[in-house]
Amino acid sequence: MVRLHTNHGVIGIELDAERAPKTVENFLKYVRLGHYDNTLFHRVINGFMIQGGGFEAGMRQKPTAASVENEATNGLRNTKYTVAMARTSDPHSATSQFFINVADNDFLNHSAPSGQGWGYCVFGKVVEGIDVVDKIKSVRTSRSGGHQDVPEEDVLIERAEADA
Amino acid sequence: MANSAAPGPVPARTATIDRLALREPIFVSDLHLCAQRPRTLQRFLALLGEIGGNAAELVILGDLFEYWAGDDTLASEGGQAPGGEDPGADDRVGVEVAQALRRIASRNTNVYLMHGNRDVLLGAQFVQDAGAQLLADPAIASIGTQAAPARAGLATLLAHGDAYCTLDLPYQAFRRQARDAQFQAAFLARPLAERRQLIGQARALSETSKRQLAMQIMDVTPEAIAQAMRSAGVRHMIHGHTHRPARHDFLLDGAPATRWVLPDWDLDATPPRGGGLRWSAGELRTLSL
Repeated sequence: MVRLHTNHGVIGIELDAERAPKTVENFLKYVRLGHYDNTLFHRVINGFMIQGGGFEAGMRQKPTAASVENEATNGLRNTKYTVAMARTSDPHSATSQFFINVADNDFLNHSAPSGQGWGYCVFGKVVEGIDVVDKIKSVRTSRSGGHQDVPEEDVLIERAEADA
Repeated sequence: MANSAAPGPVPARTATIDRLALREPIFVSDLHLCAQRPRTLQRFLALLGEIGGNAAELVILGDLFEYWAGDDTLASEGGQAPGGEDPGADDRVGVEVAQALRRIASRNTNVYLMHGNRDVLLGAQFVQDAGAQLLADPAIASIGTQAAPARAGLATLLAHGDAYCTLDLPYQAFRRQARDAQFQAAFLARPLAERRQLIGQARALSETSKRQLAMQIMDVTPEAIAQAMRSAGVRHMIHGHTHRPARHDFLLDGAPATRWVLPDWDLDATPPRGGGLRWSAGELRTLSL
């Protein structure tokens, strides 16, 4: 379990190391390095997802390590309150950014092992602090620093902790 | 971010979005904006005025501009074109459109921009000036996403459309080159005047070959469309490029599927053309001008 201590409360995420071993290892690496401490949920779209783990306050992007293989073929689906890796349009480009689905987002699931079909790899789900996720998804957003859907008041991950 | 001190304009290859949730979008493409088509430009600017703050999203699926020589045209003072025409007029169109897009973006209409075949060099500076976000081609949108109760929308493949004209082999070879990062960097490193001249030559050639080719070569091939939709796991698609506005209902692997083709814009032609699609009351409807 990983706990994200945010300025809206604690979000507990149960990781699925069996179905998404490389992704979970990658995520835990960033947790243990303290990468997520003082990062933002910087892209918040109610009805879709809340994304974070890549920017500090002021929308300053943090450097990351090498990208991780996309394990979206694992059969886990992007259902409400699952956690998945964010990435660029390159399927295997996920590094530190992740998102929490706040709806059943079937269109993010794997459909084919090529280009658009790769989908987004689910590697865990929220098991504590669903109310915190619901609070975050409803914050007011606007455009900031070339990004859309940025919370007007910072939604901060103060620190991330892993059990054991 | 776009604060580099590189000598040339910066291509906008990075930070593209390939999945997005749209609440109440308007889709347009193939506006081919340029100084030579003043009515088209005015109608587009008027549309932006109408939708500013009233549509949740404006999605431009390529060929916003007739051509794009590089983002340094945004700061260019014009100068003299070899042919004698005033390139500054087109530069001013670029600046005006970026400002108009930024105005609606600041009124909370999210602006999404996809490259077309003509404006593939639209770069990081333009995207930033316009307050837009760049879409990958193709991208998948969930259209009609609702916050409460949370509901995902209609999963729809968005594309410019030129990638599916697979029978046009010379064009596909050109397309690969034009989208190659190294080719773009090398091209953008040339002086602006030289880039304008090269683009002018390429456009003249393209007009000639278009007139010589059989029309069906220029349309998408059904197999390429089916493959793209299958791979994306969707049954709906919106694209432009072909200038053949239509709604195609067909069977994909035995189940109903729909492909919408956006119209091109030319309000300076007779009869005038233009329009788009709008998500309204739970479905995609034609947006007439």
